[in-house]
Amino acid sequence: MTTQQEAQAPAFPFHGNVKPLLNEVLHAVDRLLATGEATTIDLAGLPFGPGELEHLEATLGTGELSAKLDALGVSRIRETAFPGVWWLEHRNAHDEVVGRYLEITRTPEILSSQDADIIAGRAHLEDQIE
Amino acid sequence: MDLLEFAKGPALQVAAYILVAGTIWRLVGIILLKEKADYSEPRQSAGLMAALKVIYTRSFSAKPFHRATMYPKMMAYVMHIGLFAVVFLFVPHIMFFEGFLGFDWPGLPNSVIFFLGVAAVVSGVALLVRRVTNPVLRLISNFDDYFSWLVTMLPFVTGLLIPVRMGVRYETLLAIHILSVVLLMIWLPFGKLGHTFLVFVTRGTTGMVFERRGAKT
Amino acid sequence: MKKTPTVGEILQAKGVSRRGFLKYCATTASILALPPSMIPRIAEAIENARRPSVIWLSFQECTGCTESLTRSASPTVEGLIFDAISLDYHHTLQAAAGDQAEAARHAAMEENDGSYLVLVDGSIPLANPGYSTIAGISNVEMLKETVAGAAAVVAIGSCAAFGGIPGADPNPTGAVSVMDLVTDKPVINVPGCPPIPMVMTAVLTQFLTFGQLPELDKHGRPLAFYGQTIHDRCYRRPFYEQGKFAETFDDKGAKAGWCLYKLGCKGPTTYNACATAKWNNGTSFPIEAGHPCLGCSEPNFWDGGGFYEPLSTGHFDSGEKLAGAAAAGVALGVVAAAAGRRRQAKFTKE
Repeated sequence: MTTQQEAQAPAFPFHGNVKPLLNEVLHAVDRLLATGEATTIDLAGLPFGPGELEHLEATLGTGELSAKLDALGVSRIRETAFPGVWWLEHRNAHDEVVGRYLEITRTPEILSSQDADIIAGRAHLEDQIE
Repeated sequence: MDLLEFAKGPALQVAAYILVAGTIWRLVGIILLKEKADYSEPRQSAGLMAALKVIYTRSFSAKPFHRATMYPKMMAYVMHIGLFAVVFLFVPHIMFFEGFLGFDWPGLPNSVIFFLGVAAVVSGVALLVRRVTNPVLRLISNFDDYFSWLVTMLPFVTGLLIPVRMGVRYETLLAIHILSVVLLMIWLPFGKLGHTFLVFVTRGTTGMVFERRGAKT
Repeated sequence: MKKTPTVGEILQAKGVSRRGFLKYCATTASILALPPSMIPRIAEAIENARRPSVIWLSFQECTGCTESLTRSASPTVEGLIFDAISLDYHHTLQAAAGDQAEAARHAAMEENDGSYLVLVDGSIPLANPGYSTIAGISNVEMLKETVAGAAAVVAIGSCAAFGGIPGADPNPTGAVSVMDLVTDKPVINVPGCPPIPMVMTAVLTQFLTFGQLPELDKHGRPLAFYGQTIHDRCYRRPFYEQGKFAETFDDKGAKAGWCLYKLGCKGPTTYNACATAKWNNGTSFPIEAGHPCLGCSEPNFWDGGGFYEPLSTGHFDSGEKLAGAAAAGVALGVVAAAAGRRRQAKFTKE
C-alpha cells in the first residue's frame, strides 16, 4: 500500500475555475497514456477567485515524490496525489512565486540533468581528479 | 471624440430634447383640440372610472374577434413584455435611469433578460412576417408601420449582440446600441410609436365617450 | 560599434545553470503570455540576444511607474532583465547627475545609434516648455533629440501614453502624450496608473527575446496584456450575470464579493491584465480588494465620468436646455392645436 495523502475535495467554490481545469488535466492524462505526449498548463493568467488556487492545490494533493530545485531561487516540483500530474512552483531569490505550472508527464523536463550542465560539470570533475 | 463618447454625449442629449419636445408637442396639440360637443343625453355617468375600465377591457380582443386576433395579440404581448423587462429590469439600464431619477430598483438576472430580449425579437419578426404576408395588412401598411418596426427592433438586436460580441469590441457594439436608441427616441413622438404615450389617453377618452352614450365597453 | 555580449553569455558568466535558465525561460513565457510550448524558442532567442541599451526619460510624472517597476515584485527574472539590459540613463535610478548624466545619455545614443530603446514616463508640456525641464533642456526638446536615433519608444504609464493626470481637464500645462509628438518611430504604449510591473517588463523582455515589438491594439498597447477587458476576465463576473451587485462599500453584497458595477466599476470598458496577472506578485487587484476599477489604462480616464458613477449612468448635460425643449414642445403644440381647431371649425357648423 503506497503512502499517499488523500486529497480534500470540498464542494467546488463558486467561481468555477477549478472544475474545468481538473477536466483539462483529465484529458491531458488520457493523452499521456495514449500517445506519451506531455502537457504543461500555466496557472498564471487564469482569473482565479479568492481561495480557488488553494482549493485546486488541496484537491490535487501530494503524492509520493517531491523535489527541491535551487536555481535562481527555490523551486518545488512534486507529484500530486494523481500520478503523472506534477505541481511545479518556481520562486525567486526573494522567495516570491514567479511561476506555477501543472505538468502532466512521466518526468518533468526540469528534473532531468541538462546537457550543458553535464558538460560543464565533467570539466570540473576532470579538474578534481587531477 | 470617439463613437461611444459621441453616442453617450451629444447624440443622446439631442435625442432627449427631440423626444421631450416632440412628445409634448403632440400631447398639447391633441389635448387643446376642440372637443366636439355632445348634445345627446348622457345614458350614464362617464368619468375616470369609465376611462380606466376601457383601458383594461381593450387590453383583450372582444370575443367575436378572438379567433382572428389571438395570434397577433399574443405575439404583441410577448414583444411588449420583453420590451418593458429589458428596458426597465436590466441592471445597466436601471443605473442609466438612476442617473436622472436618483433612485434605482431591483433587476432581473442577465440570462433572463437575454431570453426575454430574444423572445421580443422573435415575436417582432413573426409580426412583420404576418404584416407582409397578410393581404389586408400589406395593403394598409405604410412607411410608418415598417419604419417604426425597424426602429424598435434595432435596439433589441444591437443590445443582444453586446454579450454575443462576435469578435467586435465592446465599445463599438455599445456605441451602435446607444445610437439605435437615439434613433428610436427621435422617431418615437412622431409616428405610430407615439402610442407609447397616447395609447392610454386615447383608450381612456374612447371609454368616456362610449360610456356616456351607454355603449357596451 | 561595441560588441555587446549575448544574454546567454551574461547569464553563464553569472553562474546560472541550464536548469536555472530553463526556469527563467518558463517564467518569461508566462510573462509574455505565451504558451509553455514556446519555451524552447524563447530559450534559443534569449541565448542569442544582444544586450540592448535603454534610455529612460522622465517628464511630467509622479515617479509611480518607476516605483512600480523597481519596488514591487522585482523577482529575480525582472532583476535579470535589468541586469541584462544596459540602463544607460534614468533620473531616479542613476547615480550621476547634471552634465555628467547628460553626457552619459549622449554617449549611449551615439554608441547604439539606431538600436537603443527609449522609455518615457510622464507627459510632455507644450503650453510652456519651462513647466518641465531637465538640466535646462525642455521635455519636448529632450524627447525629440533622444528619439532621433532610437529603434523604438515605449511610453510607460498613462501620462506618457495618453497625457494622464496632467492632461486632465483643464490641462494647464498643455500636456500631451508621447505618440502625439513621435510619429516617425514605433511607439508602444504601456498605460496604467501605474502599469502592472510585469507588463512593463514583458515589453522589454519581448524586445530582448525576439528583437521585435509586440502586436498592438488601436491605442498602441500590446495586445497580449491589453487585449481583454477587466470585465471579461473578472472573477466576479458570475455575480454581474446573476444580478448580484454591491450597493454600498460595506453592505452584505460587498462583503460577499458581489459585482461592483453599481459602485462605478469601469471594468467593462477597461483593457488591462489586472484580473489575471493581478498586482503585488499575483496577490490581488482593486476589484478583489473591494474597490471598483478606475479604468486607469484607458485614455482620458480622469475625465471619463465619476469613479463612483456607474458606467451606464444617464445625465442631462443641461436641465435648462431640457426645460427649453419642453417649452418648445408646448409652443409647437399650441400652434398645432390652433391650426387643428381652425380646420375643425371649417367642418363643424355650430
